[in-house]
Amino acid sequence: MPYVVKRPERDIWEQSYIPETVRGMGVTLRHFFRNVIGRRDTVTILYPEVQRPYPPRFRGLHRLTQRDDGSPRCTACMCCQTACPAECIHIVAGSYPDGHPLAFVEKYPAEFWIDELRCVFCGLCVEACPCDAIRMDTGLHARPVEARPHLMYERNLLLSITDAKGDVLTANPRKK
Amino acid sequence: MPKLTIDGREIEVEAGVTLIEAARRMGIKTPHFCWHPELSVAANCRMCLVEIEKNPKLQPACQIPAAEGMVVHTENPRVREARRAIMEYLLLNHPVDCPICDQSGECKLQDYYMLYDLKSSRLASEEDKVRKRKHVPFGPHVVYDAERCVMCTRCVRFCAEYVKDPMLCEVHRGDHSEIDVSPDRTLEHGYSLMTAHICPVGALTSRDFRFQCRVWFLKAAETICPGCATGCSACLDHNRGRAFRLRPRVNNAVNRCWLCDDGVLSYRFHNDHRLCSPSLGRGNPQPASWEDALSEAAAALGKTPKAERAAVLSAERTCEENWALIVFAREALGIERFFLAARPDGTADQRLRSADKNPNRAGVRLMLGAEPEPMTALLEAATAGRIRAVIALGAEASAAGVEPSTGLLRLGTVVSIAERTGTLPDAAHVRLPCGSWAQSAGTFVNAKGMAQEFGRAMPLGDGLLDVHEILARLARRLDLSFPYKTAAEVRTAVAGRLPEAGAAGGAP
Ligand code: SF4
Ligand code: SF4
Ligand code: SF4
Ligand code: FES
Repeated sequence: MPYVVKRPERDIWEQSYIPETVRGMGVTLRHFFRNVIGRRDTVTILYPEVQRPYPPRFRGLHRLTQRDDGSPRCTACMCCQTACPAECIHIVAGSYPDGHPLAFVEKYPAEFWIDELRCVFCGLCVEACPCDAIRMDTGLHARPVEARPHLMYERNLLLSITDAKGDVLTANPRKK
Repeated sequence: MPKLTIDGREIEVEAGVTLIEAARRMGIKTPHFCWHPELSVAANCRMCLVEIEKNPKLQPACQIPAAEGMVVHTENPRVREARRAIMEYLLLNHPVDCPICDQSGECKLQDYYMLYDLKSSRLASEEDKVRKRKHVPFGPHVVYDAERCVMCTRCVRFCAEYVKDPMLCEVHRGDHSEIDVSPDRTLEHGYSLMTAHICPVGALTSRDFRFQCRVWFLKAAETICPGCATGCSACLDHNRGRAFRLRPRVNNAVNRCWLCDDGVLSYRFHNDHRLCSPSLGRGNPQPASWEDALSEAAAALGKTPKAERAAVLSAERTCEENWALIVFAREALGIERFFLAARPDGTADQRLRSADKNPNRAGVRLMLGAEPEPMTALLEAATAGRIRAVIALGAEASAAGVEPSTGLLRLGTVVSIAERTGTLPDAAHVRLPCGSWAQSAGTFVNAKGMAQEFGRAMPLGDGLLDVHEILARLARRLDLSFPYKTAAEVRTAVAGRLPEAGAAGGAP
């Protein structure tokens, strides 16, 4: 429905801008001198040397968790790939050959790619995973890289990334 | 003709029609596992229970024939509670390994759980579930998972009734029952993938399709199976330019609702050994631009005298494509001799499979209005030097008793229009890539003489052109006339030469 936007009423003092500009500059200068001389209200930190503590549920780069025997927990069910709104996950399933100790699991990710540049860090892949195989509890940001392909994270790299405490297993107490 | 009431609506059906079928005709879907319209009634899953008024117990809709004056309820609380109970029972020992189960996404257990159950298991512990065999290879194409099986016996009945080779049977009892192959047999009868197709759960899965793609990523398109001269109606499942499987589509005039194993696997004609860009040179082909390849082809064909040119039609390709080549060859190149390239014959049986492994031999005959000469005649003429230049459609060319490649190498010029490598493109000087059968629209005429039209199932890939477009561009380069600009024009020209369109395929 169309409606008329009420224009703000300004008196001549405001309309001329000059006194308002000077007033704004005054605020800036007041903060400048207080911080340069007294360093009382500084809100910036010297990142990355100084880091703020992250909340425990911070969603960082992905990792793929391992079973106790070092095999990927992931079963290549493609739920995360399906859930991902940025379409940044690409999985190729493989099947364990007969006689392999893990043959009863049948399926594993032969390839697992995450394009961390496309990822929007929504965490839907973690929600979707029925195996607790993908987690975003690494506390890591996407690093600056020289070329885009360097942020295409591949299966073995993802498996080697640890959680914030340095663990490659699942951190979920409910999963044995 | 009994008249009955289902969910408050009246319907009249022929005597003997079951309640599930009568309900289906009214658009009511009764949940079921064991019932299959083409198989005998087993009534062992009890998922289709419905309430019939004046009948104290719920009755299986798949088994009870409609009777005069019956009043049936398919969706009341009592029926829904029965379904929930059946689902709880079926899922009691079920492994629920959906993440690694290939049926996930097209599984009746999943669907009915969401529709009727939605309760968690009352089994005290996972450890109490009955454990059974998993990933048992039943044959070259099928694996079996006993834990997922709901013992509906569809697979058993399919082998016994359709294939007439009762090699599957039920073994053990109660919780421990499972399906097994008869001793010393493997599930290998040419239709084994249909057992995986009709298995309502993930118990029987196709070894070929397993783990290749989750079914919810697949897009389905209606097509005709290119595997043999029977011309079964099928759906092609594909994703991102890759084909994954063929599924049967109901066509009571041809394949009812089945496909043979080779048919299911004939999606490979789209995936394998594809030519992706034009190329020049025999033996060691070098990729070339369309410009260069077409100019080269036009020059080579143009410099050969008319009497020494010939065209090779293809029983693998549609009527439209063959017709376009016939018109181009006759009107533009003045060709009078037409030969037929085809795949070699294979096994046949009393059910679907034809010995002729080409989908459109009859169609080529109709288009040409005569019998094209066999490949052997071309090889002889090439050896004798009577034919020097050939424009050939299709990839495979078998000749009875001889190796075609040596004869083809005697030809001065071979221009091949094909979608994949094969005898003809391998012997060619110029290869012009066209779409696979899945990427083309057209008509196949099957062995019974039924013309079956199908649409483009998948988009034409980058760097490929339709056959009529290739011919039109060639004609332009030769400064010769070619009457067709669009596929629709070829279609109209072909329509008059085809028999009445075959019975159209029904819903998949
Ligand atoms: S959802 Fe989990 S188990 Fe499934 S593919 Fe993704 S990481 Fe693997
Ligand atoms: S058969 Fe169905 S319910 Fe059972 S594991 Fe497979 S997809 Fe899941
Ligand atoms: S294997 Fe499939 S079709 Fe055969 S009895 Fe079990 S569930 Fe039914
Ligand atoms: S479908 Fe009726 S009992 Fe199985």
